Amino acid sequence: MNASKVAQTIVLWTIGILFLLPLYWLFVSSLKSDSEITRFPPTYWPETFVWSNFPEIWEQLNFHVSFSNSFIVSVPTVFLTVLFSSMAGYAFSKKRFLGREALFTFLIATMTVPPTVLLLPLYFIITKMGMFDSLIGLIIPFSVTVFAIFFTKQYIDDIPTDMLEAAKVDGSGDFRTFFTIIIPLIRPALTALIIIDFVQNWNSFTMPLVLLQSEDKFTIPLKLALMSQDTVATPWSKILAANLLSLMPVLILFLAMQKHFVAGLMAGSVKG
Amino acid sequence: MEIGRFLTTEDNMRFLKRHLGDLSAYVFILPSFVILGLFLVYPVIWSIIASFKDIPPIALRRSGLFSIPGEVVGFKHYADALQNSLFIKAVFNTLYFSVIYIPITMFGSVFLAMLVNKALPGTNFFRSVFFIPYIISVVSASLIFMFLFNGDRGLVNALLSNFGIAGPNWLASTLWAMPVIAIMSCWRNMGYYMLIYLSGLQNISKDLYEVADVEGANGFQKFRYITWPLLGRISLVVMILLMINSLNVFQEVYIMTGGGPSDSTVTLPFLIFNRAFKYYEFGPAAAISYLLFIVVVIVTVIQKSIVNKRLG
Repeated sequence: MNASKVAQTIVLWTIGILFLLPLYWLFVSSLKSDSEITRFPPTYWPETFVWSNFPEIWEQLNFHVSFSNSFIVSVPTVFLTVLFSSMAGYAFSKKRFLGREALFTFLIATMTVPPTVLLLPLYFIITKMGMFDSLIGLIIPFSVTVFAIFFTKQYIDDIPTDMLEAAKVDGSGDFRTFFTIIIPLIRPALTALIIIDFVQNWNSFTMPLVLLQSEDKFTIPLKLALMSQDTVATPWSKILAANLLSLMPVLILFLAMQKHFVAGLMAGSVKG
Repeated sequence: MEIGRFLTTEDNMRFLKRHLGDLSAYVFILPSFVILGLFLVYPVIWSIIASFKDIPPIALRRSGLFSIPGEVVGFKHYADALQNSLFIKAVFNTLYFSVIYIPITMFGSVFLAMLVNKALPGTNFFRSVFFIPYIISVVSASLIFMFLFNGDRGLVNALLSNFGIAGPNWLASTLWAMPVIAIMSCWRNMGYYMLIYLSGLQNISKDLYEVADVEGANGFQKFRYITWPLLGRISLVVMILLMINSLNVFQEVYIMTGGGPSDSTVTLPFLIFNRAFKYYEFGPAAAISYLLFIVVVIVTVIQKSIVNKRLG
C-alpha cells in the first residue's frame, strides 16, 4: 500500500469513527446506572453494566403497547401501499386510459407539496371521517404514496409488453396477469419498497402527534418524544435505553436486507 | 362516428374502448385515485381555500367533510404573515440552518462517496456505517444529540474540556442551538446523499482518469476537471433535495428545543404547527404553509430550468 492509500484509509476510519460516536454513546449510556449517568466528566465505558435498564423502562413505559401499536400501523400500511401502488404503477405503465399522461404528470408535480401543507387539512379530513384517535386513521390515508407508484412503474416499464400480450392470448385475465406475472417479476423492487416504506412508517412522528390523543394508542416515536418532554422522572440512561429498544426493529431489518434497501434507494433516487 | 345514428351495443363498446382505453385500467388505479384524491389533492385545495378565510374553530368543528366555513378575507393572512416579526425570524432561522446544513452535507457526501468508491480496508463496513443514521428516526436522533450536546454532562463538552475549552450550554444558546440541529441533520442525511453520488461516480468512465494520468494531472485536478463536472446533474438534484430538507425542519425542533431559546430555532413548519394546533389560527397557518409551498415550487422550477439549460 502506498502513502496516499494509507492517508486515505486513515481519513476514512477517522470519519467513520466520528459517525459511529453518537451510536456508541447511545449504547454505553443506556447501560449506565442512574448515578453514573449524571457524572461529569462522563465515564467512557460503563463501570457496571446495568442491563436491568431495559426491562425496567420497558415496564415503566408499557412499551409493549407502543410496540404493538407501531406494528399494527406499519405492517398493514406497508402491505396496502405495495398492493395499491403497484396496481397503479401497472396501469400507468402498461394500460391505456383517459388522461393517463396528464394524471401522471400531475402526480409527479404533487411530490413538491411540503408535508407541512398537508398537516392541518389532513387533521380535519381524517377527523371528519371519524378516524381521529384511532390507529386506522394512520393506515388508510397513508396506504398509497406517489413515490411508490413512480417506483413500481419504473420497474414494470422494463417488462416486455409482448410477454403480457402472450399471457392475454393464453386467456389470462388482467388480475391473473398482474398477480402471476407482474408481481413475481418485480419482486426485487417490491422488497426494497417494503423496507423503505416500513422504515418510514415506523419512524413517523408528526401525523401520530396530531392524530392520536389517548396514550394507549401511541406509537413508538410519539411515546419516546413525550416521555423525554417530562424528564423530571426519567434519568437519561433509561431514556436512551428506551431509544435503543425503539431502534431495534429497523436496525435489524436494515442489516438483514441491506443490499435490497440500498439498491432500491439508489434506483429510486437517481432516476427520480 | 355519425351523430344520431342508432348504435348497436357492439358499436358502443368499440366507441368506449377507443376513447376510454382499457376499462380494467380504471379498476387498477381506483384505490390510488380515491386515496390520493382524498388525502393529498383535497388537502392541498382545502389549504388554499382556508388561507383566504377567517375560520372560527367552533364552526369548523360542526361543518361537514367538504365545507370550509368562515368569512372570505382575501390576502389578509398572507399580508399579515409577511409583516409578522416571528415569520421573518422563522425565515431567518431557516436560512441559518441551510447555511450550515447544505454545504456540509453536499461536500461531505461527495467526499464520502469518493472515499468509499475506492478499494480501501473497511470500505464496505463504513459504507453501512455512514448510511445507518438515515434509517434512525428523527425522534431517536434528536434524543441522542440532546444528550451528546447536554451542557452539564454531555460528551461534547467533556471532550472539549480536555482541550481546556468550556463548552456552552448548546441547546440553551441562541447562537448554538440551531447549529446543533443542523449538524444532527447532516449526520442523519449524509449517508443517503453519499449513495446518490456513489451511483453517479460509478457511471463515470475509468478511461477519463487514465487519460488524465497520462497527461500528468494530480488528484485535485482530476476532481476539478473530471469528477465534479460530470456529477453536475446529480449535484443539482441533491441541491434541491437539500433545500427542500431545510424547509421541512420540524420534528427535531419540536423535540430538542421547542422553538427556543427566545424563538431562535422557530422554523416555518414549527410556526405553522404552533399557529394551527396551539393557537387554532387555521387561516393564518394555511397561508404560511402556502407561502412555504410557493418557495418550494419556485426552487424546483428554477432548478429544473437550470438542469435543462445546462445539461440538456
